[in-house]
Amino acid sequence: MSDRTPAVGIDLGTSNSVVAVIDKDGSPRILTTSEGSMTLPSLVWYSPDGPVVGEAARDGLDHSPELTIFGAKRLLGRRFDHPEIRRLSRLLPYELTEAPNGDTWIALASGKQVSPEEVCGRVLFELRRMAEAHFGGPVTRAVITIPAWYDAAQRQATKDAAQIAGISVMRLLSEPTAAALGHGAHRGVDRNYLVCDLGGGTFDVAAVDVEGGTFEVLATTGDQFLGGDDVDRLVVEHLLRDVKNTIGFDITSDTLAIERLRLAAQKAKHELSTDASTTLVVSDLLQLPSGKSVGYSKPIQRSELEQWAARFIQRIEAPINEALARAGRRKEAIQDTLLVGGMTRMPAVVREIQRVLGKEPKMVDNPEEVVAVGAALEVARLEGRIEGILLIDVAARGLLVSTGQSDCELVIAQSAVVPTREHRVFATRQEDQPRVEFDVWEGESPESEKNRHLGRFAVVDLPPAPAGDVLVLVELTLDTDGTVRLSASELVSGERMQLEQVFHSGLARADVARLARQLAEAT
Amino acid sequence: MAPSRTLHVRCTTWEQVETFHTRKLRRGKLLSMKVPFAATLGSSVTLGLELPNEVVIAIDGTVRKSSPIEGDTKTWIEVELHGFTDEVVARIRAMAAGVEPVPAEPDAPPERPSKVALASEQLPVDERQLFHHLTTELRRMRQAAVHEVLGVERDADADQIRLGWMTLVRKLHPDLVARRKAPAITHLAEELTILVNRAYDRLRAALVAEGRANVVGSVVRPPPGWLVGFDDLASGAGSDPARRRAQKAVVTIPPVNEAAPSAVGAQGSGGQGGEAFETRARTMLQEGDPDTAQEVLAAALVVYPRSKPLRSLYYVASAVSALGKGEIMLATSQLEAALAHYEGCSEAARLLEHVRQHGQTDREALRRVFQ
Repeated sequence: MSDRTPAVGIDLGTSNSVVAVIDKDGSPRILTTSEGSMTLPSLVWYSPDGPVVGEAARDGLDHSPELTIFGAKRLLGRRFDHPEIRRLSRLLPYELTEAPNGDTWIALASGKQVSPEEVCGRVLFELRRMAEAHFGGPVTRAVITIPAWYDAAQRQATKDAAQIAGISVMRLLSEPTAAALGHGAHRGVDRNYLVCDLGGGTFDVAAVDVEGGTFEVLATTGDQFLGGDDVDRLVVEHLLRDVKNTIGFDITSDTLAIERLRLAAQKAKHELSTDASTTLVVSDLLQLPSGKSVGYSKPIQRSELEQWAARFIQRIEAPINEALARAGRRKEAIQDTLLVGGMTRMPAVVREIQRVLGKEPKMVDNPEEVVAVGAALEVARLEGRIEGILLIDVAARGLLVSTGQSDCELVIAQSAVVPTREHRVFATRQEDQPRVEFDVWEGESPESEKNRHLGRFAVVDLPPAPAGDVLVLVELTLDTDGTVRLSASELVSGERMQLEQVFHSGLARADVARLARQLAEAT
Repeated sequence: MAPSRTLHVRCTTWEQVETFHTRKLRRGKLLSMKVPFAATLGSSVTLGLELPNEVVIAIDGTVRKSSPIEGDTKTWIEVELHGFTDEVVARIRAMAAGVEPVPAEPDAPPERPSKVALASEQLPVDERQLFHHLTTELRRMRQAAVHEVLGVERDADADQIRLGWMTLVRKLHPDLVARRKAPAITHLAEELTILVNRAYDRLRAALVAEGRANVVGSVVRPPPGWLVGFDDLASGAGSDPARRRAQKAVVTIPPVNEAAPSAVGAQGSGGQGGEAFETRARTMLQEGDPDTAQEVLAAALVVYPRSKPLRSLYYVASAVSALGKGEIMLATSQLEAALAHYEGCSEAARLLEHVRQHGQTDREALRRVFQ
């Protein structure tokens, strides 16, 4: 784990992941998979012969979609009872299940359950192998990009996934910032940017000011469940109806057929970004009992696709307006809009953003790779190989604290500049009270059920004293990565107190270490 | 949870320094000591060795052995100080012999030089000087009012506040020192950046609250725990309650040099500091706002942990709050605790007497007690 080993920039995407480095001459390089592709599909197929990652796992989508996990990034650090997870669990070909602590896990057909951290860990491990093949030596450090709206639990889950893959995270970098950096915004004139990143699974908006090499993120918003996958699903919904009408089979319960339809729809969607019409072809959609296979084909116009995707397009406007409002910017003050992510290749998406902002957005040259390039630049920056760039970020959400049944009280406000720290003082309520328990939440509301529960903590081993005599100072630090650190001390003596995690979301430290060992040993 | 810790060892005489590196260090590099946290094996710690000439030397080390002490929150650890090189020893020896002149670091002046000068000011290249510089800055900023942290005037406008913040962040951000690969330096830079960011967030929230700006950068909605603004703390009692309510979003820790004993109600504070806080808290209690008073006092206790008057007043505030909820028993115990901490707390004595006689209290009675 020496600092001498090279480090890489990783864009861990919902559908595709990219790994990039900055060469000695300062130019960025996208590393390629063993098949020679610049992007690695974020796919893990738990095949009978063991897990298969990346391009090779595409076969799994054909054979056993219930064992082929795509889009695990959307599940990272999420509670199972989240309405969007409920919705996803009905739509995904694989089965979601609830972990004992309320997290979302994936149930494989064999009865085995895997956490999204483990799945993402396998993708990251593959990316690490690509980097090691490039450098011809061990690679153990990386900057990993994450959606800007990720909460602390999702950030921690990303770090855990990296640890499982044997990667120590130098920095979690928000994707819009990475995009602005990768676009080379620091080299141009000072400008006010709005970055719109619409990828496979998520939509990110960030207002970023670039001034003399300093990137200041003013506000970030996003839609955590808006991406290309949703368009694919909307198209599939229409196609299912069409299949029933034209060839007379109801395949709504045939996961294999649906998966084949989804892949064909995705391909058609890509083609319609450049062409006005295309023909969707699935050569063997399903097999009749006789063994004869039935094919399906349908010509699709771009206008048709846009009509089907209308519900999707409508959801673009709200996050943009919210980002502008939080940044205190009118849309006229935005000088450049950067479009990042594969979905911004869709003409209807560009038109909608242009309509909302009243100005033509700027498509970056390489929307799929620019985020990874930004991450690689961040590596070079942190190592001191690039001078004169500073990134300043803000808290994506507020942090709140509550004790017992009390209301949640805001401790760190949303949009506070990170790193930052605030404290709360808790007094004992009973004589010789041995411990003080409190909950930490992320969100904005005084009502706990509207916030994300990060964990319950206890300050233990309090000295025996009358009620109210022991004052415990709890400090919450939100660090540059946006992850939360806690510390507790006795107010008067200043002596550190023991903090205990009573409940927390995410994986336990021991489990992460165990999974990391298993993955390292298996290969 | 912190990635690395800094341990501070202070030697007040050169004899102690000599003893430290001849006797306390085994085999030249191993140091056993008791620390108040659970240390994990292999984690990095930094020893800040403070010499009699107030120079602090940062020595990086790794925890090699860690054994918790039973019945105590402390841990015995053995640290291998790989940063304690012959060069460092030679430097210490030279300083002890008075050969190396130590750069005089006077206490930072209350008014900072202009921001333009700061922007061109570079951080020291030498690690030892940098560590010393950052420690001094941290000590100064921890005691400074928010506008002083940013180096701006009290009535600075949005642009000045932003410029002050940006100048400091561009100098002190931990990323800018990350390349030095010295955990202690990065840690100090992070602590300083936290102070600077907090000051910025509070000042711009205050501007918005006062209606002097819509937003400065991104909007921060002040959480309720942020206390009173930086209006004149020394004159304490005289401030207009309506104005204070509008500013209730911003906390400040008054600079020590401003916390002069004020004429109103600053009784028996024993020279331990925090008088301005006392005055302010008394005014709040008089106005029937014990919860805010409690917050002010809690913040004050962070700065003046040993002030008995502050401590006892905290109990009084908590008692007043309990009385407001009709919890007489709790209030009585809080007032007794106040007197146990500081017999001279006359409010506690008067209020306790009142409660014992009448079993309850009202606004008017409270006003009389705190007059």
